[in-house]
Amino acid sequence: MPTPVVMPQMGESIAEGTIVRWIKKVGDQVERDEPLFEISTDKVDAEIPSPAAGVLTDIKVREGETVGVNTVVAEIGQANEVRGAGPAAAGASRSGPAGTAGPAPVKQQADGQSTPAPTPADKAASSIAPEQPSGNGRRRSSPLVRRIAKDHNVDIAQISGSGIGGRVTKHDILGYLEEGRLKPAPTTGAPTTAAPATTAPTTIAPTTIAPTTTTPTTARAPQVVRPAGGDRVEKMSVMRKKIAEHMTLSHRTSAHVYSVFHVNFSTVEKLRQEKKAEYEQRGAKLTYMAFIARALVGALRRHPVINASIDGENVIYRNDINLGIAVALDDGLIVPVVKNADEKNLLGLSRAIADIAERARSKRLNPDEVHGGTFTITNPGQFGAQFGMPIINQPQVAILGVGTIEKRPVIVNDAIGIRTMAYLTLGYDHRLVDGAVADQFMADVKEQLECFDANDC
Amino acid sequence: MPNSYDVVIIGAGTGGYVAAIRCAQLGKKVAVVEKQKALGGTCLIWGCIPTKALLEHAHALKVIRDAKEWGVTLPPATPAIDMHQVQSRKDRIVTGLTKGVEFLFKKNKIDWIKGTARLAGKGKVDIVEGDKQTLEATEIVIATGSSARSVPGIEIDHTRIITSDEAIGLKEVPKTLVILGSGAVGVEFASIYRRFGTEVTIIELLPRLVPIEDEAISAELEKSFKKQGIKSLTGTKVTKAAAGANGVDIEAQTPDGKTQKLTADLLLVAAGRGPVTTGLGVEQAGITMEKGYIKVDDLYRTSVPNVSAIGDVITLGSGVHPQLAHVSSAEGIVVAERIAGQDVAPINYDHVPSCTYCDPEIGSVGLTEGEAREKGYDVRVGSFPFGVLGRAKMAGEGEGFVKIVADKKYDEILGVHMIGPRSTELVAEAVLALRLECTVEELIRTIHAHPTFSEAVGEAAHATHGAAIHL
Repeated sequence: MPTPVVMPQMGESIAEGTIVRWIKKVGDQVERDEPLFEISTDKVDAEIPSPAAGVLTDIKVREGETVGVNTVVAEIGQANEVRGAGPAAAGASRSGPAGTAGPAPVKQQADGQSTPAPTPADKAASSIAPEQPSGNGRRRSSPLVRRIAKDHNVDIAQISGSGIGGRVTKHDILGYLEEGRLKPAPTTGAPTTAAPATTAPTTIAPTTIAPTTTTPTTARAPQVVRPAGGDRVEKMSVMRKKIAEHMTLSHRTSAHVYSVFHVNFSTVEKLRQEKKAEYEQRGAKLTYMAFIARALVGALRRHPVINASIDGENVIYRNDINLGIAVALDDGLIVPVVKNADEKNLLGLSRAIADIAERARSKRLNPDEVHGGTFTITNPGQFGAQFGMPIINQPQVAILGVGTIEKRPVIVNDAIGIRTMAYLTLGYDHRLVDGAVADQFMADVKEQLECFDANDC
Repeated sequence: MPNSYDVVIIGAGTGGYVAAIRCAQLGKKVAVVEKQKALGGTCLIWGCIPTKALLEHAHALKVIRDAKEWGVTLPPATPAIDMHQVQSRKDRIVTGLTKGVEFLFKKNKIDWIKGTARLAGKGKVDIVEGDKQTLEATEIVIATGSSARSVPGIEIDHTRIITSDEAIGLKEVPKTLVILGSGAVGVEFASIYRRFGTEVTIIELLPRLVPIEDEAISAELEKSFKKQGIKSLTGTKVTKAAAGANGVDIEAQTPDGKTQKLTADLLLVAAGRGPVTTGLGVEQAGITMEKGYIKVDDLYRTSVPNVSAIGDVITLGSGVHPQLAHVSSAEGIVVAERIAGQDVAPINYDHVPSCTYCDPEIGSVGLTEGEAREKGYDVRVGSFPFGVLGRAKMAGEGEGFVKIVADKKYDEILGVHMIGPRSTELVAEAVLALRLECTVEELIRTIHAHPTFSEAVGEAAHATHGAAIHL
């Protein structure tokens, strides 16, 4: 009896997901919890583990397709159940270069055949066992594993344990780290050789594709852009498409206004130098970002309108302060959230920010960790920008851009002095936040940073 | 059917009898075939138990000789050993323990088939000597163990040129004894007979005593042996040994290429043990062998379905499979649980403790410093001498040390090596530390009771991180 594999529910508000890549091919042996395929939703990218051990007998939803939550996307069964393959083929697929067996369904699509739509029966069967990625549950491990996890900023809960009672062993975590290193960079992983065929029905397809497949479905395309000779055409990643959508939506939705403040970071810098070693001993890197976050949470508490959302004709003043931290990735960006940031001290913030940033880069965020932000910080300064003009992360009403923090000449008591300075930009939605309110908020943040309380470290 | 069993186990040594008990506990109908007159195999009858009994006699003699130091007044006669009493006490202990295994068999309703087994095709075991019959078995476990082996050119006559089998039963203390091999067996008998008054010489082919131990352990043992009057000829090869009416003439080649002649009452060959499969019919059964050992996978399956093998008789194909009683019994439990359909994990042979009951005792687990460096670890070590401890001073046993080998990168404990009082007991903490993937930091934070010998373990951990407290 094959086990159905379904598109998991990656968060409360997510109804569908796109299969970005099949890690396993039809005929491949899979272990329970071994990564089976990669998905992308509008919130998060994730690797989905296999719900059972066995052989991947059938792939029902191909790479690049978007299907609803709980749709059956594949089946795990026995080797002799491989769809469309006799026993001989099943045997062959176990040996080395099974690559020829894998792309079969892709070819089918290239011929113009459509995917078999999931039947209601499939859906009924699949809803029995919606596969959830392991949450943030505590995992058994060992002192050594915890030490390695700390050094590599790895969440042990993400690792499946092979020891007694599911204990994560040294072998498990080293394997996990090794796997992460070997995983191809997302940009190179996506476009397989079969990709151009599957991307056929788009308006910007290369002209070399057979005319029948270029039948334009142009309704949504504002204009036709044709590549010139020598140009390279690549399908947008799912993340890229989502970013494009979100940014234009935000730009259309909010009345963006900006205020830029010049902030003296000398006190922060002094404290950072003083406390750096101590924090390092406690396993945390003390960054400017932690100080800024700490200053922000106090100011957000005092200026609730900045920590709010617009819902039609209502204003929702958020009770929780959940800080989104924009993290640049090789192929896009993601905004993981530090929940209840106001309940954390400087050390807690340092740890939390480092943790989510690292896991964002290594694609190990839980779906819930990109939800529920109430205010966002972005840091164009890390690449040298004096200041940025960031676009608001909907449905929030403000965003802080941190410019580069560096020593600059400033006037101190009618003399020119050298101080560690940075421009902080607040981008805010003028529909809700007026200039005066925004500037009072920023003045508050500035004061918190310039007179950072040493007792708060 | 009276002769039909779920599991037939061949050999009642530590591997076989433990496997049998575990199988029975898990609801299997079990028979064990054993040709010897008692249960327990090499460990109980010929190895661990009798040698350690003799070592306790040697220790008792040592304490009595120091009676003056302890303030105990003895009659003027020089304390001496009575081999008759030694042997009868030792035999009592051995008999008591083998009877204990018999009792466990009865308790678990395990049948002891007295005789010699021969594999007779799928699911069948012939008993060719003793209670002749054919047993039917769903699963067969071979646990036939090992026996002492010689080296080329030396013929064991069991009178003058002997193995450990004879060495445990000597009726009188030899005046001179040459021991070939400085593994556990060699150095243990060296300790026993030196205490009993024998002139002992150990000849070891490799450059140091107990060559599988950490180098620091070897050096400490050699130092101690020298003090006790045990001669060690390392890097030396025995080229000839001829037994005569009055003793053994031995020729050995020393590292400088010279030939050295020795004579001794007895030559004990302690050069390792080989697998026992004679008459078992392994070849006819189609079982894959490797250098005389039965080849098994990591869950002890042989190449023939439903036939497993454990203990000294097996090879896992790679690495050295330790021939130790506690390894065999651990394998016995794994094989029994696997047969009973439980989910079992392979044994991690890096976490097998090794205990040598020479004087001073050696206990070790994990990688030696040399092995760790060879494997490319960024190694840091720390050691702490027992002599500093109050507890050791009270006991008058200040020899030796505890040494920890750790990986600098993650602070992982890679190996723990100890020589000195109670080392064979103290190593248990280190085994657990390795098993649970402990860091040195954790060992430092573990509170060691005072005054105990175990404080040396905690202090060695401190030393690994920089400095011990009491040094």
